[in-house]
Amino acid sequence: MKAKHIQHLYRRIGFGILPSQLNKLSKESKKKIVEHIFKTSQSFKALKVDTSEITDVFVTSMNGKKLEPEVRRKIQKISRQKQIELNIAWIDRLATSEQVLREKMTLFWANHFVCEDNNIVYIQKFNNTLRKHALGNFREFVNAISKEAAMTKYLNTKQNKKQKPNENFARELMELFTLGEGHYTENDIKESAKAFTGYSHNLNGDFVFRKRQHDANNKTFFGKTGNFTGEDIIDIILEQKQCATYICSKIYSYFVNDSVNKNHVLAMADVFYKDYNIENVMKFMLMSDWFYDEENLGNKIKSPIEFLVGIKTLVPTNFKKPKQLIYMQRLLGQTLLDPPNVAGWKGGRNWIDSNTIVLRLKLPSLLLNSAYISNVKNGNEDVMMTTKKEQFKKKYGKRFSTETNWNYFETHFKHVKISDMSAHILACEINDNAKAYLQSLEKVSKQEYCIQLMSLPEYQMC
Amino acid sequence: MDRRKFLKQSSLASSLFFVPSFVRAFEEVASNKLGYKRLVIIQLSGGNDGLNTIVPFRNDIYYKERPTLSIAKTDVIKLTDEVGLNPSLTPLKRLYDKGYLSIINNVGYPNPVRSHFRSMDIWQTATDSDTFSQSGWVGRYLDNYGKQPYSAIEIDESLSLAMKGETINAIATKDAKAFYNLARDPYFKNIYNHQNDTHLSEHNLGYLYKSMIAAQSSAKYIYETSKTVSSLQEYPQNKFGKQLKTTAQFINSGLETKVFYTSLNGFDTHANQLNTQKRLLKQYAEGIEAFVKDLKNNGTFKDTLILTFSEFGRRVKQNASVGTDHGTANNVFVIGENLKKQGFYNNVASLNNLDENGDLKFEIDFRTIYATVLDKWLEVDDKKVLNKSFSQLNFI
Repeated sequence: MKAKHIQHLYRRIGFGILPSQLNKLSKESKKKIVEHIFKTSQSFKALKVDTSEITDVFVTSMNGKKLEPEVRRKIQKISRQKQIELNIAWIDRLATSEQVLREKMTLFWANHFVCEDNNIVYIQKFNNTLRKHALGNFREFVNAISKEAAMTKYLNTKQNKKQKPNENFARELMELFTLGEGHYTENDIKESAKAFTGYSHNLNGDFVFRKRQHDANNKTFFGKTGNFTGEDIIDIILEQKQCATYICSKIYSYFVNDSVNKNHVLAMADVFYKDYNIENVMKFMLMSDWFYDEENLGNKIKSPIEFLVGIKTLVPTNFKKPKQLIYMQRLLGQTLLDPPNVAGWKGGRNWIDSNTIVLRLKLPSLLLNSAYISNVKNGNEDVMMTTKKEQFKKKYGKRFSTETNWNYFETHFKHVKISDMSAHILACEINDNAKAYLQSLEKVSKQEYCIQLMSLPEYQMC
Repeated sequence: MDRRKFLKQSSLASSLFFVPSFVRAFEEVASNKLGYKRLVIIQLSGGNDGLNTIVPFRNDIYYKERPTLSIAKTDVIKLTDEVGLNPSLTPLKRLYDKGYLSIINNVGYPNPVRSHFRSMDIWQTATDSDTFSQSGWVGRYLDNYGKQPYSAIEIDESLSLAMKGETINAIATKDAKAFYNLARDPYFKNIYNHQNDTHLSEHNLGYLYKSMIAAQSSAKYIYETSKTVSSLQEYPQNKFGKQLKTTAQFINSGLETKVFYTSLNGFDTHANQLNTQKRLLKQYAEGIEAFVKDLKNNGTFKDTLILTFSEFGRRVKQNASVGTDHGTANNVFVIGENLKKQGFYNNVASLNNLDENGDLKFEIDFRTIYATVLDKWLEVDDKKVLNKSFSQLNFI
């Protein structure tokens, strides 16, 4: 497999590939490499922060009574702290996990089945449900999501009762999770909402079906009439080919190209519709020749998380104050576990505005190089470098207290010639003007050159 | 070429040549002489308790439902025989007396949502409560009428949904100098120096370059324009006061920005509400008074309209922790010099006609206020921005 195609593959199913790793794979066939990717992602490792402080309270309060306001406030307080921990752990997992594809898919599904909850136990459980089903069967996945405590709270299924139906979940199930807007009627929403009545959860966050609140009467949905349950409704939705097409189109725009090629998506939908096996359709996509078409290479704008995690995979970086990493996410416009609304982040060009582009260009140097981007002309020495870096550290060191592991970078780039570095760090060609400018500059060191490359708009592409 | 044809063409050419400069000259006159209308939006985040802000001090239900949370009749700053202001709002009373304040009561929307995030989204996107939008109403104003990202500025570190359009986003900055410094590393200037930018937005990379260039010129424009003035007005020493001071500086320097967005947080008073709200309303009122003075001294108040809202009001009945839970309809303040309807725009709610949760029923859809501001103040087609036609009110 061509080096640039392996790089493309890894930029999309993960956050890029290091030169040392690329070297090992370069003699393998596409089939072998793709199979290897699925094999390493086969098992499932839950992402967990210690929530025993809260679950202990649950155990003592499981007598069915409502929590005292004081206890509730305490749980909320611990939850807020733990959400930060989970966010940091998730970013860390993305940057270091060997189950690259499963983790990238989890990130994808988190912006498909969008949910948030202020209870850490519930949202952690939800997050691991995404991870567990990320490459599994879509039917089981949708069912599991419909029964998650966090989801029954977020889209009010909990309040959806026989006497007083709440249509929120039913609507989003079809509009956002399975079919897309315009492929169902208002009446389908009303009727299917009845089927999900009685969905609820206990204090631990386990699914509970409250039979007395369930509407067991007949419902008419997509032309069929019966005493449907929530599971039946999901079955009927999945009978629609549109469901396969809609999901494949979302996968395509996330992993291949913002602008969707209809024929490619239909080919994917044919595969997916057979059994709704996510792994199969992903394999089909990654094995397709069109996945590696020139027009699909390096054409996507990284999400803030792809950008931040990408930096960490090249130069491992830790924020000494975890809150700063959250703050960076907020400034860049994507805080994990805190989506803007049920429709999620729009992505693509919507990541970019005047504030975020300026921050994205400056961030690599801020985090990794004391805000310094070398710009001395060929043949000159960078005399100001040390002083400027020290000045920055003195003035702003507290604000940007990061630990960076440049040794890691040096080790993995040891055998890469400086002239070959851009192909490893950037996913697309540098525009002529910037290229000429870079050529006019002294290559002070691999580290300084790496920062120069990361400070280009081209580094925002993947 | 025959003579007639030549004459025709050249006269056409010369008229084309002259029109733009004439228009430009006219525009300058217009903006200098006729004024340049600006909107300042103030968001009270968390859900301000409207009933303890505009207090119905003759309403028995109010005192009955809030035995330990009501404001005593003797403490209320009386505005009419029926209602008055929270005692922290003395500075606002002075604006009221000058006719600079219009209070619109019972503002909300159909099928109210009591979640902060969702209700804030609804206010910021101006959609129906069961519809999601990924663009805000100011953002869509920018899409249609704003020429530059800096046509709208949020005085904060990051942008609210309200300020994001479909194709263009506003700028967020609370420190013009810091933003300028971040954007102007010499390295960035050189990577596009001679960039031919005609085909820039065709592909995603071109779009990034275009955004970068626009951001750098905006940062430079905001910094260099705003640094020409410095305010002599004293503001309260808090975050909100600082935001307003920066806003005034932007306005008084003649920055061509139509909408400014600021916010004051902390109104989610589920427990021990009295002191928290007292402190916040004080910050609000003192900040606003300083801001109005600052603008007046610089002759810009007449062209500025200040709109204050919160994502919802709070429940009529107090809860067990001497606080209030999330409610629905609330009051909106409009502050400006030439208001058509000074004082109270409409009556406060009677409190004997509540919904099943014990919350106020809304009387005025907040989007009718937006529509009015868009049409009568910013003078644009409100339907284009709100994607729907709303009836208009008569306060400006």
